[in-house]
Amino acid sequence: METGEEFGPWLARQLRLAGKTQAELAKELGLTRAAVSAWIAGRSTPRPTVMTDIANALGTDVGTVHTRTTDTQAGLPVTWYHRPGYPDGGRDLGNAAAFAFDADVQVLARETCQNSLDERLTENGRPVRVRYTLHELTGEHLDAFREAILWNDLFPHYSAVSETAGNQKVGRVVDAGVRDMYEKGRLVLLRVDDYNASGLTGDDYADGKFAAVVRRQLESLKSGPAAGGSYGLGKATLWATSALGLVLINSTLSEPHEGRTERRMIGRLELPWREVDGHVYAGPAWFGRPDPDKPGAEVARSWWADEDTVDRLLLSRENDEPGTSFLIVGAHDVASLEGESSDQDGGQRDEEGPEDTRGIERMHGRLVEALGRDFWAAMVGGGGRLPLLEASVRALRNGEEVVPETKVDPSVEQPSRTRALRAHYEGATVDRLTESGQVASRNVPLKLPLTGGARGATLGTHQAVLLVTEAEGDRDTPVNRVHSLRGNRMTVRKATVPNLPIGTNPFQAVLLVGEAAGGAAPFAKEAEEFLRAAEPPEHDRWGQTEELTLRWSPSAYRRIQNLTTEVNSAVRELVARPKRGRGEGGEALRKALTVKSRPRAKVPTGPVVPVLDGLDATIGDQGEWLITAEVKIPRGDEIVPMVPVAQLDVRSGGRPRLDWAELVAVEGCEVENGTLRFPPGTRRAKFRGATDASSHPVRTTLTRLVVDLRAGKGA
Amino acid sequence: MKIYPYKRLGRPITLRVTSVSLKLSDGTRDPLDTSAYSTQEQAVALGVAGHSDWVSATIGLSATLPPGADAPDAAWSDLRVLAVLTDGETNVRTSTPLTRDAEGSRDWSGHLEVLRDDHLGRASLSAYAVGTVDGVRGRSITETDRSWIVDTVSDEPVRGLRLDVRKASFNKSSREWLRAYGDAPWLVDTTARVPTVFVNTDIDGIVGLLDSNGSGVESKARDLLVAQMATDVWTAVFHGAIGDLEVEPDGGPVFPTDWQGEVLREMLPDVVPGVHVEEALRRVHRRRTGEAGWGELQTRIHYAAVRRADAAKAVGFMIRSLERTNRESET
Repeated sequence: METGEEFGPWLARQLRLAGKTQAELAKELGLTRAAVSAWIAGRSTPRPTVMTDIANALGTDVGTVHTRTTDTQAGLPVTWYHRPGYPDGGRDLGNAAAFAFDADVQVLARETCQNSLDERLTENGRPVRVRYTLHELTGEHLDAFREAILWNDLFPHYSAVSETAGNQKVGRVVDAGVRDMYEKGRLVLLRVDDYNASGLTGDDYADGKFAAVVRRQLESLKSGPAAGGSYGLGKATLWATSALGLVLINSTLSEPHEGRTERRMIGRLELPWREVDGHVYAGPAWFGRPDPDKPGAEVARSWWADEDTVDRLLLSRENDEPGTSFLIVGAHDVASLEGESSDQDGGQRDEEGPEDTRGIERMHGRLVEALGRDFWAAMVGGGGRLPLLEASVRALRNGEEVVPETKVDPSVEQPSRTRALRAHYEGATVDRLTESGQVASRNVPLKLPLTGGARGATLGTHQAVLLVTEAEGDRDTPVNRVHSLRGNRMTVRKATVPNLPIGTNPFQAVLLVGEAAGGAAPFAKEAEEFLRAAEPPEHDRWGQTEELTLRWSPSAYRRIQNLTTEVNSAVRELVARPKRGRGEGGEALRKALTVKSRPRAKVPTGPVVPVLDGLDATIGDQGEWLITAEVKIPRGDEIVPMVPVAQLDVRSGGRPRLDWAELVAVEGCEVENGTLRFPPGTRRAKFRGATDASSHPVRTTLTRLVVDLRAGKGA
Repeated sequence: MKIYPYKRLGRPITLRVTSVSLKLSDGTRDPLDTSAYSTQEQAVALGVAGHSDWVSATIGLSATLPPGADAPDAAWSDLRVLAVLTDGETNVRTSTPLTRDAEGSRDWSGHLEVLRDDHLGRASLSAYAVGTVDGVRGRSITETDRSWIVDTVSDEPVRGLRLDVRKASFNKSSREWLRAYGDAPWLVDTTARVPTVFVNTDIDGIVGLLDSNGSGVESKARDLLVAQMATDVWTAVFHGAIGDLEVEPDGGPVFPTDWQGEVLREMLPDVVPGVHVEEALRRVHRRRTGEAGWGELQTRIHYAAVRRADAAKAVGFMIRSLERTNRESET
């Protein structure tokens, strides 16, 4: 039989949960307190008959006592605990960390994926697998889910927030979220799962990953030195993405806590300060089991849920691999609205479309895009190296798949850069580009300063790796950009290379710095640390930060600027021809003497000139060309008479001209002596014609016919 | 409008250059950097590496056919793809068959050999898909819609024709004909491979002014000078271009293929606005060779040249710059 944790600790926790003492249990079982104490200390185990009594005493079945894979339902049920208002009357009208982000699933993708990469279990060498699931609930599915999260208990809190929503950002967002759910009868959940990651380990309150995510703000407890975040802001995006400020968590731990690993559950709600039924609440609330060890047994702590509960909360994990599942309740994507108007030009728009921040298909597309753009490098393996990350996105509606699971494929999202990185891993790079498809590699120096701000002193020179290759096809845009990344393989900087000569072949480049440059690169660790300090919370550039100033010097950021300059000139050297001083007479004159195609003819006044707009031609029985032509005429009072001319196309030299055997006006024109005349005000005309086969120099089936209209009589 | 007497594909072939290498006179090969060609400009500059002794160039090509070329119900059979290099000046035409990359693929690739002696300057490179239609072999089913330019001299892969600029001391130049023009600051020669502007270094400071890249009044004066020179040059090349036109049997002009064609294509829309360039050329040709109207056309030609030279802008900047200088000297 599968058994969960040790009997002793399990029983101790059940007693605490039930609010019973060891003595009380002993009394109920008709045994001595010492016997119970011995069980808890692990010195002995109860006989099978006693197990049944224990089950009765705890109000559960004997199976639960035997397997101990879950807590009994005895004692205080899972509930919401709202943090009481501060005794000093202070009010937090929103979580400042969450303010740093707008609801944007692309930002969420970046932050969550980065966390998963940082928490990857490195021992087994396998990638961390991240899966995003968009799930829209309506009807009974929505009702069932609301029941599972005890919506009726929460509702008064949301109402209270809505009432005061008027002028507070968080309040308005929450108000809109609740109204959307009721008016449209739907709720969008965004679930983020990672597998082969460490999971939320550690105690409920003491230092550890669990507390860092669930209890604390702005704390970052990352597993390795190459980790992405250093601000602890990333997790706030989870709550920022929820219009209801509500996130539920199910974690499978890599290291047991309380003897268990699976289905550690907790929920956290971020609301502004509010007053409900005469009580004031500070803001956050937790969904969990009341902790009997805390005063008044009110504080909710994580609990070990059974499979059924996890299922009802839509948080079942697909296997027992460690990792965490976050369920963002009421997910919305405000940032998607921006792209909407610029993406479409003129096309008929779905009336609902542009305003809907909760469309799951659209969010699906944006997630795939963001993951491909920011994490393509982490998903690339090669040369015996496995990728660090696998990511996929799917969308469901009431449990039915709407958009099938899409595995983000770096060779589709970033084809040329993926090719470049793979070539680097496989050692297949070249020094200079002589054939399209090649990947050129260069070392670029980054001079690291000494810590502590010794002016101008250099600790050492790190050799970053620059990869340049031709951009692949038209979809690989924007072109001529360098993606810079360090140890965690997340694209940090995306910068266009300036000052490229006109006509430079479109390329893509990758800069691997720090640990990404490979273990053999000198000062990789130091460079990694330096760049990490230079990375702002948005993870979108390297530059001046406070940390950089404090740990190195106020001018340390210039080292990064120098790196950028080196990179740009190295790229230019690879993709552009060197400027030679051959140009005599100065750049300005040579520019003025270039024949550029710039069609900018002025519209003339006076008679308008008809143009040929459509042509149909077949070969007749006598070998003559039979044509039907349409003519388009610009608006104008007077129309120039035109002469239709039939010629045979040739490779070079003059085109032989064919005679007309017949020229007939069909509409909008008259034919007079081989000239077409148009009545004033005509906009379209049509005529028919047949060539004189005797004027053809060669067999008609071997010719190409050219028809055009020439102005005036003498054509 | 062009009509073929058989069914064809509606969409063009896309042609890309994938590599360029030069064969030198000593038999060695020099693979050129990919910057020797530009996929955006669709131009190959074989003069990039600065070799004076190359014999031939090998250009790697890749062509993608539009969908439908392999349709089972297509009106053609024996599909082949050819790369064709044509030179309007030397009348050389070279074709090379491309091979299909993989069974069922729409991508074809191959190498084209360019012999240096076959070309004077700019040749045009295109791809044709041909097949047997109604028993006639080698009929074109579709082509590239914009051909590549292969320039055997240029060191910059740009599509636009760049007129040559040379500095010379007119009085002491080895080009003896220049000596007759010793007092001219610049001259245009439209008989060279590409029209060439000679700047007379005997005029003190003119080269320095043209080469300057400072700001302030000096740069405005330079721009004004450039505009003046460019107006002269454009007027001269236009006249040069329409001077020697080939004539069709019916007396109409044939649109030239070399630099004259490019100059005309650029300027004719301003000389005879509102009509197709070929029609415009016919009108200009009629006026030049006919009895009347040539004089009236000069204003239009001058106008087209002035526009190309951006003279209005240069004059405007100069005037504003002078005004500013005057104000500053008053205060």
